[in-house]
Amino acid sequence: MTIVKKILPYLIAVLASFVAAGIFIALMGFDVFRAYSTILFTSFRTPNGFIQTLLKFIPLVLQALAFTIPLTAGKFNIGGEGQMIVGAIGATAAGIMFANLPPILLIPIVILAGVLTGAIWGFIPAYLLYKFKINEILTTVLLNFVSFALIDYVATGPWRDPTAGHPTTITIGSNGFLPLLINNPPLHTGLLLAIAVAAGIYIYTSRTTGGYELIATGANPQAAGIYGIKVRRMFVFSLVLAGAVAGLSGALEVAGVQHRLIEGMQSNFLVLGLIIGLISRGNNLAVPFVAFFIAVLEVGASAMQRTLMIPVQMVFIVEALILLFVLLSDVVASRRKS
Amino acid sequence: MEKENLLELKNVRKVFGQTVALDSVSFTLYPGEIHGLLGGNGAGKTTLMNVLYGLYRKDDGDIILKGEKVNVQGPRDAIKLGIGMVHQHFLQISNFTVLENIVLGTDVNNRYTMKLEDEAKKVEDLCKHFGLDVDLNATMDTLPVGTRQKVEILKALYRGVDILILDEPTTNLTPQEVDALFVSLRVMVNDGLSIVFITHKLREVLSVCDRITVLREGRNITSLVRENASEEIFVRAMVGESMDIKNSIYFSQGERKPVERGETNQPIFQMEDISLVNKDQVTLLKNISLTLHPGEILGISGVAGNGQRELAETVIGVKQPNQGKITLRGEEITEKTNEDLFKMGISYIPEDRLHDGFLPKANVAQNLILGYHRNKPYSDGTFINWKTVFKETRSQIKEYNIKTSGPDDIGGNLSGGNIQRVMIARAFSMPSDLMIAHNPTRGLDIPSMDFVYQKMLKRREDGFATLLISEDLDELLRMADRIAVIYRGEILGVLERDQFDKYAIGRLMSGIKDS
Repeated sequence: MTIVKKILPYLIAVLASFVAAGIFIALMGFDVFRAYSTILFTSFRTPNGFIQTLLKFIPLVLQALAFTIPLTAGKFNIGGEGQMIVGAIGATAAGIMFANLPPILLIPIVILAGVLTGAIWGFIPAYLLYKFKINEILTTVLLNFVSFALIDYVATGPWRDPTAGHPTTITIGSNGFLPLLINNPPLHTGLLLAIAVAAGIYIYTSRTTGGYELIATGANPQAAGIYGIKVRRMFVFSLVLAGAVAGLSGALEVAGVQHRLIEGMQSNFLVLGLIIGLISRGNNLAVPFVAFFIAVLEVGASAMQRTLMIPVQMVFIVEALILLFVLLSDVVASRRKS
Repeated sequence: MEKENLLELKNVRKVFGQTVALDSVSFTLYPGEIHGLLGGNGAGKTTLMNVLYGLYRKDDGDIILKGEKVNVQGPRDAIKLGIGMVHQHFLQISNFTVLENIVLGTDVNNRYTMKLEDEAKKVEDLCKHFGLDVDLNATMDTLPVGTRQKVEILKALYRGVDILILDEPTTNLTPQEVDALFVSLRVMVNDGLSIVFITHKLREVLSVCDRITVLREGRNITSLVRENASEEIFVRAMVGESMDIKNSIYFSQGERKPVERGETNQPIFQMEDISLVNKDQVTLLKNISLTLHPGEILGISGVAGNGQRELAETVIGVKQPNQGKITLRGEEITEKTNEDLFKMGISYIPEDRLHDGFLPKANVAQNLILGYHRNKPYSDGTFINWKTVFKETRSQIKEYNIKTSGPDDIGGNLSGGNIQRVMIARAFSMPSDLMIAHNPTRGLDIPSMDFVYQKMLKRREDGFATLLISEDLDELLRMADRIAVIYRGEILGVLERDQFDKYAIGRLMSGIKDS
């Protein structure tokens, strides 16, 4: 199958969802074409818009990967949000405690702290699954709530910033700030890290024996087990790796953007990550591209609200519709076959 | 003069997706005959009868019963019209008694009393009359397969059918049970019943049927009276023009010498006193000792569910035995896992290909390297060399005649027979000292079966060992150098090729040990 043939259903799905949402925008009395041109082109009109898009792209691609990595092995990680929060907490804690270290030490420590705490948060459901066969969907979702309580505690506790009006910690040591690629508007080097991780995950799953075992486990765990793959270990590994990736996204938000822990900083990255992962159908090569596209929509959405007063939720509806139409294209394809 | 037809199927057509399962097939049944419906796997035999029994809706064609066109919407209609079918997989409730299973679903007026004495009487009469010897009060799951099949036949007879369809009834029966079944069938026919006997075994139709219809690839090939036809005609009709019958193993009549096992010849594989007990302390394998010499094919015979699967999984290291010792080329492997063993050179064709061997969501190439994905030349241990894998896959698709669009076709698109070919290609593509093949030809048509046999004999010539676990006794008699019979997890006896005797094996299969 050629690449065009593969992408065609997606293009149709995007188009169809724009048309469907366009009807509502028109019914609400707005100018559909201006709305869509704002959504689609804000990211590319100004340098600021493009950098905003890239800044959105970083957590989105990592969240989506935190979902698709275990999905490759047939497991569902709905805990990317919690893993990101815990990763952010770990990164902040490291950044505050070792604030006086030089950048060459502090930056890696902050990032690693985020990755490790995220991985630990991913290991909990993995262990429960390995040892007691407890469904990972349940445990990952529930651990999100635990992480909410945790961030609440940390952001209002000993490291609270008393001058802020919202639960927020003091800033981490400035030596822990990620260096910038572009100074104004600021774009941090976490982008390179995120791209490297996405590339690494793709290479791992598509080229290595370990990645093959992950795919085989996801395709049929019983057969994989009979042919010598340690299936339950693959489950654990995929969930821990996902936690690490999600934790990295938290660390990058702290070290690159916020420089502190802010309650609510996880935004709605989890849901968008799931949508990206599902639109990509778990294909790790497609994830970065879809993530970029969704980032474009997200940035366009805020611009649309500012200039046209159309609620941003409209874009969320568009995103959800794209997913629905992509899923629908599966049904159409299988119907046409039979 | 032409006899009057009891039943006629006219130009029946059935399409599944893109495959034409039945292409204008016609079939007639005379009263009081045993009519063999012969053909390889995928010929459309079962599909045709399922249409008659109402399990499938036909796309085109007519069913004419006693001169009248009938419309069969489901099995209930079929039974009302006097058509009964015994499936390959029995539809029984295992914790009910035989009698309860037989009357289940009929309109016995005992809703509040569960009184079945009258019915028991009727069924007993049927048993006596047709020589079907069954204890009506036994619970279903305590009975051997042969008896459970009798129950299934009784179910049909009890419902008063006059056409009985038997789908591959001899699968899983011992030779003795097969003989008994044939005697019963003859009694039924003499009593006025008409029987359709679906099978892929030529010898069976020749021995019991009055008339024979051959199907191939969903088409009528021929329909002949038994006496008027020679074996060759049927063989040719079954396999088509292209197959080389003379050199085939499937139809070979010649004698083959058993493999030479010299005194100095060290065995490739040895298991000594292996026992396997499950979590609930049920013994699955009991003191099994087997030896395989270079170039030997050791057959394991037995009725399904007597420990064959456990034996296979113990050999490949999925299950760890509780006692005993296993060696491969002199090296102890008792404690080794399947991961190690696949690296050391074993290959496995699982019995349950869909659950134990196949990755439906992965592509054909990914399927073909499962288990060998860490071995050269597919991988250097860290990275998989997809270029080599795809090249290999392409050549295997060709060699093993796998019908697929290419190496990156998704496995789920393959049909059952093609999935089996993938299993076979995977197992034969890697040189392996020991192959464990469990029902390797299930679901294959005759030329493909023959291909597998050729491959197996090639292994034999090359000095590799093969453990052939099969429920098809003919397959074992054809291929094995020795046959070991397994019964309730125990090896009851091992026969050398020159002592092969169907009936002796049959006795062992039903647990009767000669003294």
